Amino acid sequence: MADVVQVAPADDPVRPLFSPAGELTAEARATLGLSPDALRDLYHKMVWIRRTDQEALNLQRQGELGLWGPYQGQEAIHVGTVAALRETDWIFPSYREFGMGMCRGIDPAEMLKLFRGVSHGPWDPRTYHFAPLVIPVASQVPHGVGFAMGSRFKHSDDVVLSTFGDGATSKGDWHEAMNFAGVFQAPVIFLCQNNHWAISVPLAKQTAGSIAERAQGYGFPGIRIDGNDVLGIFAAIRTAAERARRGGGPYLIEAMTYRMGPHTTSDDPTRYRTNVELERWSAKDPIPRFRQWLEGQGLLDEAALAAINREVEAKVETMRNRLRATTAPAPGEAIFGRVYQHPSDSFLEEREEFESSLESN
Amino acid sequence: MADQTFRLPDLGEGLTEAQLVAWRVEEGARVEINAPLCDVETAKAVVVIPSPYAGTIHKLHARPGESVAVGAPLVTIAAQETPTTVEPEDPAPRTLVGYGPGAPEAGVRRRARVAPVATGEPGADVRAAPFVRQLAKEKGVDLARVTGTGPGGRITKADVEAATSAPAATSAPAATPATPATNGERRISVVGIRKAIARQMVRSVSTIPQFTEFAIFDASALMAAREKQKAGGRSLTPLPYFIQAMVKAVRAYPLMNSSWDESRDEIVVKQPINVGIAVNTSQGLLVPVLRGADQLDLHEIADRGAKLIEGARAGTLGPGEMSGGTITVTNVGASGPVETGTPIISPPECCVVAFGAIKPRPMVVDGQVVARPGAWISISVDHRIVDGALATEFLTALVAELEKVSA
Ligand SMILES: Cc1ncc(C[n+]2csc(CCOP(=O)(O)OP(=O)(O)O)c2C)c(N)n1
Repeated sequence: MADVVQVAPADDPVRPLFSPAGELTAEARATLGLSPDALRDLYHKMVWIRRTDQEALNLQRQGELGLWGPYQGQEAIHVGTVAALRETDWIFPSYREFGMGMCRGIDPAEMLKLFRGVSHGPWDPRTYHFAPLVIPVASQVPHGVGFAMGSRFKHSDDVVLSTFGDGATSKGDWHEAMNFAGVFQAPVIFLCQNNHWAISVPLAKQTAGSIAERAQGYGFPGIRIDGNDVLGIFAAIRTAAERARRGGGPYLIEAMTYRMGPHTTSDDPTRYRTNVELERWSAKDPIPRFRQWLEGQGLLDEAALAAINREVEAKVETMRNRLRATTAPAPGEAIFGRVYQHPSDSFLEEREEFESSLESN
Repeated sequence: MADQTFRLPDLGEGLTEAQLVAWRVEEGARVEINAPLCDVETAKAVVVIPSPYAGTIHKLHARPGESVAVGAPLVTIAAQETPTTVEPEDPAPRTLVGYGPGAPEAGVRRRARVAPVATGEPGADVRAAPFVRQLAKEKGVDLARVTGTGPGGRITKADVEAATSAPAATSAPAATPATPATNGERRISVVGIRKAIARQMVRSVSTIPQFTEFAIFDASALMAAREKQKAGGRSLTPLPYFIQAMVKAVRAYPLMNSSWDESRDEIVVKQPINVGIAVNTSQGLLVPVLRGADQLDLHEIADRGAKLIEGARAGTLGPGEMSGGTITVTNVGASGPVETGTPIISPPECCVVAFGAIKPRPMVVDGQVVARPGAWISISVDHRIVDGALATEFLTALVAELEKVSA
């Protein structure tokens, strides 16, 4: 079998940054080149997206949102990822990456219209290079790969990041996408947020072996890292993205983390997992961890923390008020409005019929 | 100050009602935005509802235990005007996502979400998933006679299971309003604690092969010890003595403090002895847990036990105080002429011990029939873990401990 090609770890710039256990090495941490302001901003954003997540949960309980999928515990991934990419690199998210969208600059009050059920797509993906949130599990993975192949055909050096949960790697789409990416050397980073649960199904019940190591079989490298360390995420994504930009091809990053809240507002996690597990992961909560590190570096003091909290509270209140003032579009517009750029006559007739049926009843 | 009535939203994608578990505020109290108002239980989860307004609680529209329809008023708050800097995008009535702006808007036809009532006639349109039909077939349940509680009147697995298990509820169901039904029957919606008890009991009886053994013990020593305590200014109920004796017997027979791990075919012998204490409350049976009972002396057992029982009755215990038991005790003689019974194990435990009332009984001492205080003990054990011989040894040890109580 002389023609079997082994993926040579030598061409992998990410692995040397991490210990075998997936921790960013002290040396790599010291040479990230992030300014104190940039470091503080990472912290600020984590606090902001967490507080927003909590507020969205409240808003759902108050009948202002139909559904909400909390991401508490996964903020280091949301924030570190966006900070590591160029603004023009595309992100293909699942349903849980609201925080990434915020970091890309999308107004959270606008984004929440999706969860309020009053808009099918409240932002223009091309403005933010942030694809729509998708519910069908793993569908964003082939989308991301296709887009990355397109970027390559256009000789652009923009790369694509597609992110998904551990459960998504059980889907056929995921494997097809991985295969295409390897074969076509697509400039794509696969970011698995391994939060240990796919709704009520634990990792061990649907994945044998390691997710990161699956990459080898598709002809590109993969690594499992600590997903609750914002700087580790930043370093891994930036390095994998630069590699892809230079034509190095795909990379799979498996970031180990924990979904601290329910799967969605319709879920009750106490029915299937223990408090002990939650407590164990709470000790690794990415936000206090990074705050302690910043304080240890002398980059954050009481006054700075208070200022961050104040600013975040103000932003969240604005979001709340703006969201509560949002109303639903007329039914005809909601259903027919954004389907075709040039609707056909029969489509317009159908719309008229629908609208007049509302009046006559 | 304008009165704002907050209506129960659909908290979980297509729910029609929720049960109010407890209020966290009182009429007349002040609340801030997002302060917890109440706990409600839906078919999917127990959730806390945060206040959408800041202001004074004017009226609570439901009582704990009641079921509230989605869209029905929950609380009226005399709201403090919030300085909203943003104008509504259009002056249409504000739409709460869960249920729309009150009554259905004129002109818009809404599809009824109400479950069609199963008629019970043969050949009626039965709605059930294939695995539920399979289960019904296996259990010999006629689906046409089962009322579906799932979405759109669909028959669920639980409905089929309920149809097979004998109706043997002992204590009164939690105070939930009955829904009037035809031909004199009453239908009581089971939610909250009643539902949790039902789930736990079905799990016990359908997964644990259990048997029960009985014994009578001579309580003379125990009563003498209580007198001694009383003379020392401390009056103790028999329960702390029961618990202490149980703990000592468990130490000699650690298998009684274990669990059967189905997934690995292993017996897990537990280290601390956490004693669940069955308490009858107005809400139904609750089992607060006395943790590390093997590390406590008699007075600590008495004090902590009393606190837990009080907390269970007042409804102030957190879920952490009602979980993690490794063996359970129930005092069946405490409130009536009950001598003994066949207690049901609380899964995943291995053993439950029931004590009957202590009263004078004829006992044979040195060939003479004499009256002595005594009581029945019964234990139910998991036969996968413990055989009759070992259960007997444990029961013998328990009786011996109780008969030699000295403090
Ligand atoms: C194709 C498809 N199948 C099933 C579902 C229902 N579903 C929604 S989320 C989910 C679990 C996904 O778990 P994971 O990929 O680990 O992501 P996480 O939710 O943990 O972020 C499932 C099965 C769906 N949305 N799409």
